[in-house]
Amino acid sequence: MSSELLFEFVYFIPEIVLAFWGLLVILLDVALLRGRPSETRGKILGMVSLVGAILALVSVFVPDMLSFGSATGAPETSIFFGAIFQGPVVERFSAFIIILLMFVIALSTTWNFTEHWGEYFGLLFWTAVGMIMLIAAEELVTLFLTLELMTISLYIITAFEKDLNRSSEGALKYFVYGSVSSALFLFGLSLLYGLAGTTRLSAIGAVLEPQQSVAGLGRNIAGAMSVLLILVGFGFKISAVPFHQWAPDAYEGAPAPVSAWLATGSKLASMIALTKVLIQALGAWASGDGNLASPGWVGILAVIAALTMTYGNFAALAQKNLKRMLAYSSIAHAGYMLVGVMAVAVAAGSRVAAGPILFYLVVYSVANIGAFAVAAWLFRDKKTDEIEDLNGLFAQYPFLAVCTLLLMLSLIGIPGVAGFWGKFFMFSEALTQGEDKHRLTFLWLVGLGLMNSVISAFYYVRVLRAMFLRPSTGAPLKPPTFAIRVAVIGSALVVIIFGLYPTPLTDETDRLADSRIFDSRLKHTGPAPKVALNGGLQPVASPVGK
Amino acid sequence: MHDIPLTWFLIFASACFVIGLLGVLVRRNAIAVLMAIEIMLNAANINIIAFWRYSVPGPEESPVSGPMLAIFVITIAAAEVAVGIGLILLCYRRRASADVDQYDSLSG
Amino acid sequence: MNQILFGVIATLGVLAALGTVLARNLVHAALFLVAFFFLVACQFVMLEAEFLAAVQVLVYIGAVAIILMFGIMLTRNIQGDDTTTVSKAGFISGGLAAAGLLAVLVFGILDDEGRTGRAGWRDVTTRPAVYPVAARASAEQTKAVNNMGFVVGRELLTRYLIPFEVAGVLLTAALVGAIALAVQDGPSTDDPAERAKKAAEHTAAAETEPQLTSA
Repeated sequence: MSSELLFEFVYFIPEIVLAFWGLLVILLDVALLRGRPSETRGKILGMVSLVGAILALVSVFVPDMLSFGSATGAPETSIFFGAIFQGPVVERFSAFIIILLMFVIALSTTWNFTEHWGEYFGLLFWTAVGMIMLIAAEELVTLFLTLELMTISLYIITAFEKDLNRSSEGALKYFVYGSVSSALFLFGLSLLYGLAGTTRLSAIGAVLEPQQSVAGLGRNIAGAMSVLLILVGFGFKISAVPFHQWAPDAYEGAPAPVSAWLATGSKLASMIALTKVLIQALGAWASGDGNLASPGWVGILAVIAALTMTYGNFAALAQKNLKRMLAYSSIAHAGYMLVGVMAVAVAAGSRVAAGPILFYLVVYSVANIGAFAVAAWLFRDKKTDEIEDLNGLFAQYPFLAVCTLLLMLSLIGIPGVAGFWGKFFMFSEALTQGEDKHRLTFLWLVGLGLMNSVISAFYYVRVLRAMFLRPSTGAPLKPPTFAIRVAVIGSALVVIIFGLYPTPLTDETDRLADSRIFDSRLKHTGPAPKVALNGGLQPVASPVGK
Repeated sequence: MHDIPLTWFLIFASACFVIGLLGVLVRRNAIAVLMAIEIMLNAANINIIAFWRYSVPGPEESPVSGPMLAIFVITIAAAEVAVGIGLILLCYRRRASADVDQYDSLSG
Repeated sequence: MNQILFGVIATLGVLAALGTVLARNLVHAALFLVAFFFLVACQFVMLEAEFLAAVQVLVYIGAVAIILMFGIMLTRNIQGDDTTTVSKAGFISGGLAAAGLLAVLVFGILDDEGRTGRAGWRDVTTRPAVYPVAARASAEQTKAVNNMGFVVGRELLTRYLIPFEVAGVLLTAALVGAIALAVQDGPSTDDPAERAKKAAEHTAAAETEPQLTSA
């Protein structure tokens, strides 16, 4: 038993490296670098942090290198007594999150926005630990703790630009909305614990399914309340309307690298966790007799998705600040992705239905890292990040302007860049999955999504208009740092390569989606659930009650 | 002697939860909101412990799954309060107000 | 007897919660909150989770309430003022929303009829006995109820190892972050005149700061 446990720690090395590197960076800051000006401390600690992230990235692949499992990656297992899931999807997305973390670290050294560099990088590492484990969590206690580790650390680093009112203000709003929503989430979780009697996701799925005498959530108000409250919690994390109010403030207030981290890592991990919980644990409550309007969470999700994409896009139209506009755009993207989650829920027997969401998440995150790198560049030189500040960028830095153009086109979803394929695969998945009776709802949603993509073109084009058509105003931008250059050019390259030739990435995401965490037991006719019917807590009826 | 029915605990927890939510909705002072959130977290804990005590753990379950969840919730609540007070102090120093409504320079 | 005791604790608990939410004076609210925490601990005792009741008293009353008190003192909002008063209109709409939610929750709890293989919540009127004579009590459960500290300690290092470690990272992050946020950058001063000067500098800085967006 104990040697087995040691063996399992091999899968856990990236998290250990990240957590310890956070402590190391703080110790370095207070011990060796004490008294140095904060600018040099930031630069040195940034370098040290990058080394740590690279180490963690390498250690993700240690299990592969030790060649446990097959050539296609580690086999899917539950480790640490079922607390954590281990499989290709976790491994690859851990690696992806660490790569995003490297970009965030590199962008953080752009300008000197805090005196507390050690704490800043330490907290960045710990958010990454939270995100990786959130993707891996297979049990509600772990899931809730990692969710909180991620968000609590994010509240703190949002407030790190202490010289600006907007930073602490955005953080306070993020904190108030965030802690209220996690309290609601927890109450929903407690009801779910009472209904299912266990906290393991797969066991919940197995317990709920045979209990269905009425399909979906019909005649099950306690269950419906629990699902609603859990959706409030996740809706906040992925900034879905009506739980989005914090997002524009936090994104605008936070230093640009932190905004990038909020928009990419946090959203990516929460979206995967949402899909996992809904599909794997609550699959039995997806919808009533298969009709989307019948009681079940798919119907709720449809309403939230429609509201989210519409509100996000219309609100973005009115924005003048680049970061705030990107915040609303990220709200809208959450709406598109929720359509993908619905498609997974109705997909009969097909595990790979989650592939398009994973593809979309990767492409969306890459484009956003580049876009926020531009915002960081603006703020370094102009101390503001309005869209107007981009005026005349093409005249000064034609190559970077063209790269930004590609990123914006990808966010709109223009053919030829990767964002188009993201939307295309997800919407076509939504239209082809499920039975005929679903088709009409999905047609409506996809139609709304396409209309919204057209609307979104207007505000992204405003960025392009500023860069290409307007004469330069104010002080010219100084040459970007190496990190900004790499982030913008690199993400543009990714976007154009997968835009022209998406097959390698779609093959990979389809392979990763073929995992049991995206598998609703209801639709799956495999071996019988491992957990016996009497698994979980069994409320005992008193003889009097009978 | 009659035992207490499970639903009594659940209804008490729901009442506390709803009172906490009321506090979040009507209070504007950030510290008061924080206190209301604590009430909501406690309500969830009562639910969890009641469910745990009134049922028999299945063969694969931990015998203390409920208390364990509650202990971690208490941990999270402590961390959240510490961070929350830190943030409120930071904002207060800049604005001399702990009123959530006054933080409205970011809007739109 | 049990039921009467429950009724008393529950009534006091609800009153303390209402007091926390409605008290104009924040210090009074915090004291009500302490009473509420204590009454929740009493409920834990009613549920035979004495270990948890001890944790509740230690962490909530010993730490959380004290931090909240510090927060109240440091923001000098001790006496109630406009910002801590609940507006009537807000109270009515908020109260209606809360009452509606309570109605749905209570209905849902009382309506839970149980599904295949499980008793409904409304039918559960006695807790499973934990002395070994009882047919359904397992040795594990008996131990969990009678000696919770021991079982919790064992489970923390086995089944709940990962959550335990994550909780460690979480507490470290909160500690480090709270200090980094609350510490005053630059040399600190206790002199009120210096402070006023600093505040004036802040205001001046705030005026030159980029104007924030509004739609």
